Amino acid sequence: MALARPGSIRRYYDINGWLFVGPALALICLFLVYPIFWSLWMSFHSGRGALVKFVGFGNIQRLMGDAVFIQALTNTITFFVVQVPIMILLALMLASILNSPKLVGRDLFRTAIFLPCVTSLIAYSALFKGMFTDDGIINSALHALHIISSPIPWRADPFWAKVLIIIAITWRWTGYNMIFYLAAMQNIDRSIYEAARIDGISAWGRFFHITIPMLKPVILFTSVISTIGTLQLFDEVINITEGGPSNATLTLSLYIYYLTFKFMPNLGYAATVSYVIVILVALLAFLQFYAARERDQ
Amino acid sequence: MDNFLRAQLPRVAALAMAGVSLFAVSAAQAKQLTVWCWDPNFNVAIMKEAGARYTKTHPDTTFNIVDFAKADVEQKLQTGLSAGGTGLPDIVLIEDYGAQKYLQSFPGAFAEMSGKVDYSGFAPYKVNLMTVDGKVYGMPFDSGVTGMYYRKDYLEAAGFKPADMQNITWDRFIEIGKAVEAKTGKKMMGLDLNDAGIVRIMMQSAGGWYFDKDGNPSITDNPALKASLETLGKIISNNVYKPAAGWANWVGTFTSGDVAAVTTGVWITGTVKAQADQSGKWGVAPIPSLDVEGAGHASNLGGSSWYVLANSQGKDEAIDFLNEIYAKDIDFYQKILVDRGAVGSLLAARTGIAYAESDPFFGGEKVWQNFADWLAKVPPVNYGIFTNEADAAVIAQIPAIAKGGSVDDALKAIEAQVKAQAQ
Amino acid sequence: MSDRLKATIVTIATYGFVGVMSFISVFPFLWMILNTTNTSIDIMQGRLSMGSALSANIRNFFAATNVPLIFWNSTKIAILSTVLTLAVSSLAGYGFEMFRSRMRERVFQAILLTLMIPFAALMIPLFVIMGRAGLIDTHIAVVLPTIGSAFIIFYFRQSTKAFPSELRDAAKVDGLKEWQIFLFIYVPVMRSTYAAAFIIVFMTAWNNYLWPLIVLQSNETKTIPLLIYSQASAYYPDFGVVMVGVVLATLPTLIVFFLMQRQFVQGMLGSVK
Repeated sequence: MALARPGSIRRYYDINGWLFVGPALALICLFLVYPIFWSLWMSFHSGRGALVKFVGFGNIQRLMGDAVFIQALTNTITFFVVQVPIMILLALMLASILNSPKLVGRDLFRTAIFLPCVTSLIAYSALFKGMFTDDGIINSALHALHIISSPIPWRADPFWAKVLIIIAITWRWTGYNMIFYLAAMQNIDRSIYEAARIDGISAWGRFFHITIPMLKPVILFTSVISTIGTLQLFDEVINITEGGPSNATLTLSLYIYYLTFKFMPNLGYAATVSYVIVILVALLAFLQFYAARERDQ
Repeated sequence: MDNFLRAQLPRVAALAMAGVSLFAVSAAQAKQLTVWCWDPNFNVAIMKEAGARYTKTHPDTTFNIVDFAKADVEQKLQTGLSAGGTGLPDIVLIEDYGAQKYLQSFPGAFAEMSGKVDYSGFAPYKVNLMTVDGKVYGMPFDSGVTGMYYRKDYLEAAGFKPADMQNITWDRFIEIGKAVEAKTGKKMMGLDLNDAGIVRIMMQSAGGWYFDKDGNPSITDNPALKASLETLGKIISNNVYKPAAGWANWVGTFTSGDVAAVTTGVWITGTVKAQADQSGKWGVAPIPSLDVEGAGHASNLGGSSWYVLANSQGKDEAIDFLNEIYAKDIDFYQKILVDRGAVGSLLAARTGIAYAESDPFFGGEKVWQNFADWLAKVPPVNYGIFTNEADAAVIAQIPAIAKGGSVDDALKAIEAQVKAQAQ
Repeated sequence: MSDRLKATIVTIATYGFVGVMSFISVFPFLWMILNTTNTSIDIMQGRLSMGSALSANIRNFFAATNVPLIFWNSTKIAILSTVLTLAVSSLAGYGFEMFRSRMRERVFQAILLTLMIPFAALMIPLFVIMGRAGLIDTHIAVVLPTIGSAFIIFYFRQSTKAFPSELRDAAKVDGLKEWQIFLFIYVPVMRSTYAAAFIIVFMTAWNNYLWPLIVLQSNETKTIPLLIYSQASAYYPDFGVVMVGVVLATLPTLIVFFLMQRQFVQGMLGSVK
């Protein structure tokens, strides 16, 4: 793509470019720039409530020695590494299946799988808490299917609590990602698939060689969004496990929330932890962009 | 506009002006006080009652009571305070454990009331927690004085009479629990392993807290805390509890009759009594005591107080209102006791009729009298400003204790975490 | 294995997979609806059968507060948010993709970066801004910060990469101006993208909790999530009532989804060819 354009065309591009982008940019500048600089400035301060004083890099030093922070960091990265790939794969498979015109009851399935996104946080966290108790439905069902011999202590065991959270997130957000893929798949011309089928390419082949490449921009989008979402994980952990047991499901966002609202409010330190998230996400997002980079002509 | 109307215009205008000025005059005197609190059936309803009483004698003052979830009130309050005091109400409800935190980290944000309210009439431990540098900042509201509510029918089935439940120790409680489970299959209590409430009750009953009188962490050298954690360990290892996954679940353990007892603050009374079919089956006894020096049978869990924001427009009216109703209106306290099960902190209110009543739900016991007596015996402690951090540290160690780990190790870990967090 | 057998197995596996996924997805919703008929105690005990408390629960739900007003508040905010966000952000996404320049790439990356900052870090200064503008406790304050949505800009930009440039070239040959190309060619062609974005933005705005909590102060301006949370966190929550609230709150998003999803099915109708 030619970035080096002759003068008048470049001006034309520039004027139009800024016009289209302008309104959004103005709003973002208005409502995000000040808060971002404020929180950046705050991260160099520390103190109780309104009694803040400048500490330079003191907050970063505190971070290094903060065992709870390290645990929150580890948990967050663990969730990211395990949950995001599973969810994206699941959503892709589902979207691909539901995109086929031959499937009976497509509308029903599609609605069903999207429902979790629409279910309110209270309802589904109450439900998950209720279903995954020691004597709850899940344990009973697993027992009946002879998969386990003694009930799994979902909420009391650090490992299983993490599994519970991963199940909850995947359940909630797979449909969301599926919608994005479905929309993008609609934009793929059917005739390409027809031609491939006539050429004798199998369903898997069509999936891997046509669908996925054409969906690459959207897959990248959902992957980055899911990265951001999982690294900022908050809703599920505060409602289902409250960060427990013994901080096994404490995430960075939850820690920030506690630092801001539950513990003695230290807004400066909380801001510092926020920027750890930003750096982490930026790093991972950049990696993903790089991996999917387009080769411009 | 036709001529007739045009002629009328000056008259209409004059009337309008008069109306406006009349409105302006009364508007200058009329005040609407905004109050933030949680729980529609308890705090909100009580505040509405208080407001109605005040408006009767002061028709210019009306009330706008906005209810949010408890965590949300704290979030909004803290956001507003951190933003320099914008967007805040006139009166706000703050849970007692957090009072010092707000008072100390946002100095000047709350209105001082020491000169205007007679605090000698309130339970000392309530006044203590809202005092900074000798100045008192809030209006004590409901007390979380604790009691042990127990199912007389389950205990009888296991061979225990009400007399057997009076002034027992926790070790005895656990013994009784095992017997009850053996005979009736019911666990003795519901327990949420993600909540340190029971630890706090036990600790305060022996006059201890996470922090000493000066607010310094007192963890490893704290016999009350150690005894509390040991007792918690015994409750878990003897399996006399039903696990609860969160608040609502915990409430469900006793409302559905799954457990034989619940030890918590008096504000649970309304919830207990809401099960009409359980009337006559419940009794109330003093909470069990720890096995340490200075241990008693009185403690507190929760409880909150009203605070006035210093830069509120209706500050004076708010203080006057709180003073008139919450500090003086004894009849008000009778009403909220009967209607909502709210035990106020005004000591004089205990002489009112309602407090002497026997309650048919509890088999004719004079439960309120008991609570009123215990209220005066609650050991005053300094909640300090880092209670939530200490709570979190304790909760983080509960799984280890539940697995039978050493309490001393747990205490060391708690101390390390508290020292790291408490900055 | 014969081809037909293989095909049958694949079909069964496919339906089985989708079926199980659907059941898992739907079950909680059914549980919610079921619970609107039960009393609070039954719900807490995990009862799985129909009860008879539906009318009582409904009555109690509506008696508690001015529910129609709160519903209207949520609807107003959600529709306003959705329409404005789609307009502003799709323009930007299109602009970033169609009119690339080194400078704008940097701006885009900066905008993406803002997505990565947790809202909790921005909440207080944003609150201060609204306070200075005198917009605390207004619905405008709830809507404004969300319109310039980095998320939706990102989405539209990625989706625009699939927009065939031949369409634009053809349109320019026909003499159309840029804004006309956007309005009359891009928008109709990207219909399914708009539909997906509509659902997502509506849902987010409808269920938005933290920011409305912070910025709204009075009973009259509240939105539905605030109402439900307040009811669910009482000392003794009445879960039957909460479930009624939750089901009612979920309905509009469901309706929006049903309306918009037809756009997915229609796909592109000939305009490419």
